Amino acid sequence: MRRMAGIMAYRRTDGRVGIRNYVLVISMVSCSNSVAERIARATKTIPIVHEQGCTEFEHDHARTVLALTAAGRNPNVGAVLLVGLGCEQTDIEGVRKAIASAGKPVEAILIQKEGGSPQAEKRGIEIVQELKGICASQERVPCSVADLVVGVQCGGSDWTTALSANPVIGVMSDLVIENGGSVLMSEVAGFPGSEHIVASRAVSREVGLQVLDMISELRAEYIETYGQRIEEVNPTPGNKAGGITTLVEKSMGNIKKMGESKVQGVLKLGEEMPRPGLWVIDNRAQGPDPFNLTGLAMQGAVVTAFSSGRGSPVGNAVMPSIKLTGNPDTFRRLESITDFNAGVVIDGASIQETGANLYDLLLEVAGGKETKSEINGNFEYTIPREAARKSPEGGCRR
Amino acid sequence: MMEKKAIRIEADDNVAVVAQDTEPGDSLICSGGSLTAVDAVPAGHKIALTRIPRGAEIVKYAVTIGLASCDIEPGAHVHSHNVEDITDRLCNEYEREFRAGKR
Repeated sequence: MRRMAGIMAYRRTDGRVGIRNYVLVISMVSCSNSVAERIARATKTIPIVHEQGCTEFEHDHARTVLALTAAGRNPNVGAVLLVGLGCEQTDIEGVRKAIASAGKPVEAILIQKEGGSPQAEKRGIEIVQELKGICASQERVPCSVADLVVGVQCGGSDWTTALSANPVIGVMSDLVIENGGSVLMSEVAGFPGSEHIVASRAVSREVGLQVLDMISELRAEYIETYGQRIEEVNPTPGNKAGGITTLVEKSMGNIKKMGESKVQGVLKLGEEMPRPGLWVIDNRAQGPDPFNLTGLAMQGAVVTAFSSGRGSPVGNAVMPSIKLTGNPDTFRRLESITDFNAGVVIDGASIQETGANLYDLLLEVAGGKETKSEINGNFEYTIPREAARKSPEGGCRR
Repeated sequence: MMEKKAIRIEADDNVAVVAQDTEPGDSLICSGGSLTAVDAVPAGHKIALTRIPRGAEIVKYAVTIGLASCDIEPGAHVHSHNVEDITDRLCNEYEREFRAGKR
């Protein structure tokens, strides 16, 4: 273990550790989005707005409530103001209590109760100024990598992603785990083809079965939706033109981000991580990159290493996103949105050494160094949506 | 002229990935050694580091990604024309054995 593990961070009263002290203004329903946004703009805090919160089916609404609650409970968040309309489906008091139980100040206002939008805005600004005062008095204390939950992700991939960037993230992941920390890997739609590798790294037989059951279910869902097996359409013609020959190879490029550590288990969104280590998050939402990134934040990740061959500005409302690219040309062109150049591997640097350098940057970011996503104000929060599953039991239907 | 490179991701791999478009006869630096391309290999595609006989495993990321469908010479382009995709077999066999308690 050649790397340092000490960081200065915020230890919350529930024991979890955050690396930021963000103040959030969360809208409960799309009807209160504009007021929430204006309060956040006036106070230089982070708004979370969305298109839901009312007349939703039970399955969808449960996801909305989970996502909004999880945002407030993320250890990077120091205090929260909830802004609702007053007659929406979202139970603002329920959300308030769930966030407060993580031991942080959380206030709630309703536009109908305050007497209208200007009144709610004025009151909201006053409350947020008080919350900011409370957060400003909190100090970073000595913590370690063992306290960190780190997400890994890729998006906007090119031929360098699987060659340089993702193996570099894998080295970083192994260092985080070796030092007692936690790594969250999702993007499970990319697992089929290498499930035998992931299952072979399971910490127990039970976990191996969890992995295999999840992938069997995914394969069956794919046939049900598209009428074809994953192998029939993968690798795609574009993949092949880029040099990927087989599905194992394509899939390995994705799971390389996990490193080589033992897999502790598969967690559904909202399921608490029972112990540190490497975990797979079963988030099957298909959509743009913020879907997956938000899923990681909902599971308590406080920072994510995100590789993009083509370049991506995406961040998250409750966690910094360290952007790296495996493509040296992309780094030169898009340095304003990219924190780390893993493209040095293409130019001859070793994957091990570059991964260790990424780990060092992770520690700097944990200690307070701002990422490009934060500097540029990329604070996306996109609730990952997925269809209700017809047969939650799943099982092997291959 | 810039030196051309091939990147071997794991020490056990018998293929590397070329970092630039490569022509037959080009010399490549790879993991401290050197290698001569015998085929045109586009950037991002695989090149054989050793002789891989027909039926032998193609190893990248330290795992089997397919089988050689013919004898492959060092420096040859490794892709669909000389690799059999056995993803199905690898996944199915593993799963069957795992569920039967053999793994």
